[in-house]
Amino acid sequence: MQIKRLQVLAILAGAFAALFAAPLGAQDLVLSAIPLSGSAGPLVDPDAAYWRDAPAIKVEMLPQNITNPQNPDPAVKELNVRAAHNGQWLAFLIEWADPTKSDRIVVDQFGDQVAVEMPSAYKPGDMPNPMMGAPGERMHIMQWRAAFQHDIETSGEPKISDLYPYIHVDVYPDEVLRATDARAYTGAVGVDNPISRPKRSAVLDQMAEGFGTLTVEPEQQSDGRGIWADGRWRVVITHPMAPGDPNDPSLGPGDQTLAAFAVWEGGAREVGARKAWSNWVQLKVETGHQ
Amino acid sequence: MPKVYNWQIGREMEYPYEPARPAKQFAMVMDLNKCIACQTCTVACKTNWTPGRGQEYMFWNNVESKPYGFYPLGWDVKILEKHGVQDASGPVYKGKTLFEAAPEGERVLGYLPDDLDYAHPNVGEDDSLGDMPQGDYITIPHMQWMYYLPRICNHCTYPACLGSCPRQSIYKRPEDGIVLLDQARCRGYRECVKGCPYKKTYFNPVTRVSEKCIGCYPAVENGYQTQCTVSCIGKIRLQGFITTPDKAREDNPLDYLIHVAKIAKPLYPQFGLEANVYYIPPVHVPLPFLSQMFGHGVPEAIATYRRAKDDEKLLGALLLFGSTPRIIHRFKVEAGTAIGFDEQGDEVSRVPIKEPIHIRPAYDERHEVYRSNTT
Repeated sequence: MQIKRLQVLAILAGAFAALFAAPLGAQDLVLSAIPLSGSAGPLVDPDAAYWRDAPAIKVEMLPQNITNPQNPDPAVKELNVRAAHNGQWLAFLIEWADPTKSDRIVVDQFGDQVAVEMPSAYKPGDMPNPMMGAPGERMHIMQWRAAFQHDIETSGEPKISDLYPYIHVDVYPDEVLRATDARAYTGAVGVDNPISRPKRSAVLDQMAEGFGTLTVEPEQQSDGRGIWADGRWRVVITHPMAPGDPNDPSLGPGDQTLAAFAVWEGGAREVGARKAWSNWVQLKVETGHQ
Repeated sequence: MPKVYNWQIGREMEYPYEPARPAKQFAMVMDLNKCIACQTCTVACKTNWTPGRGQEYMFWNNVESKPYGFYPLGWDVKILEKHGVQDASGPVYKGKTLFEAAPEGERVLGYLPDDLDYAHPNVGEDDSLGDMPQGDYITIPHMQWMYYLPRICNHCTYPACLGSCPRQSIYKRPEDGIVLLDQARCRGYRECVKGCPYKKTYFNPVTRVSEKCIGCYPAVENGYQTQCTVSCIGKIRLQGFITTPDKAREDNPLDYLIHVAKIAKPLYPQFGLEANVYYIPPVHVPLPFLSQMFGHGVPEAIATYRRAKDDEKLLGALLLFGSTPRIIHRFKVEAGTAIGFDEQGDEVSRVPIKEPIHIRPAYDERHEVYRSNTT
């Protein structure tokens, strides 16, 4: 009951925020995804030269203050966002100031994350709830995680000896039991939890229809990569434009849709609902070739 | 916020969800006068459930020395300090629960332990309170005191872990009240680790999601008590099911000990979670300390416990501890024997109230030797 009430509240508040309380002109912010020629496949390089040609917009980040728990004063106040596409893949380059690179996760350490949200099916004139949608208003959410990227770029899934170099462990079940018998001791890995299982991408494809409904999609297609330097993250998130998945938006040159962003500063213990989010910006997939 | 009734604090309180009591409620009674901190329960739990990767410092069952032992470090004094001084003097609690004391923007008053707080699971072992000055000698009762506190998840009626989770990854089973954390749904936000005042949800840094005591549900589903209970060499534990005081059944040994004899008390009832592990307070510990930890009614509980030798029914209930691996749903005392029955009504335990005494003569005529007390 309480949750339903919260959802209703969230929808109302979302509508209210979208109509009135949003930063003035947020709806008018237009992010142009510039067309690229001579490239195919995923656009994952934050250092690629073409980003210089993509116009940047500044997206104001606001505290998530609709549902509990919340962080009333999130660390990141603004994102710098660019977009580009090559006819097959759409990509966002998202930059923000973050004095700490957070990709080691133990009980009191949290990871840096950034996410792009788009309506799964957008019709011109739609104004869905930017806060993870609502029942019947499905959102596609691509979330990049610094810790996932760390796993991929180093030795794979976290190992206790990497997290705690001086630890001594005598034996694990998987060293002495058959794999089928040892599986019971693998916790979330054994049930293929998307947070725990081996990763091929630092970006999770997810969908949501309101708070608390975030679900990892069965089909994972997004990719991305971040570079942290000089107190700044530059992260690319890319996704196929014709994903063949009804949960994901299908986009072509000339199309227009909405995009919103969320960011978590792990160093400030931001996680889950303790995040900064943005209102919608208009996303234009530009035509033509450069 | 919805209102729920918490009998341990004798009043309604706020909770994030509507009341929904399970058909049966998992519960345990532990006699702290009998625990010797041998850690057999800890090891039984560890080898059964948490020998895996990322669980190296995770103990769903732990035994700590009080007042100076903690796992994780300082868990109870930290939340007590945040909670502040509350009026818990009477059967109706006048202070705030942790849900009612939640700061703006939070679901429950809590704190996230530091990583290193888990690094020394047996810190403070055997440290007693009070000095032994030069020239002093031991008097009875001892001037110094300490005791052992074995702890598992309390499978609370109003769990703060469940209430804190924004994803509803934690659920309370309607059939037996065991609180479980869905390993497929959790995303490792650690809101539960922060929210549980008993710090009985744990973060696994290898799987990056949280885990907790599962109340040995595969055993409980089959009518067996938990591993920490059946492995206890001191026979300090009895695991079964508890009902609310208004429906208490005198022939249910847990109801009898908790609701009728009132000798077993919940851990920090002022938190407002209606914790379902009940402790028989140690008789030698100063009352102010025990009252803070176990709520009102501790002096009466201790007085009743001290009279147990003259109370055949109470003694019978206490003697059923550790007498069978089966869950005892009903018991009776007749002809100097305590008898326990399972859910189907079959006898699963039979314990004499007084052990028969056998006297062996000092001289063994068959072997033509004198017996010695040394072995």
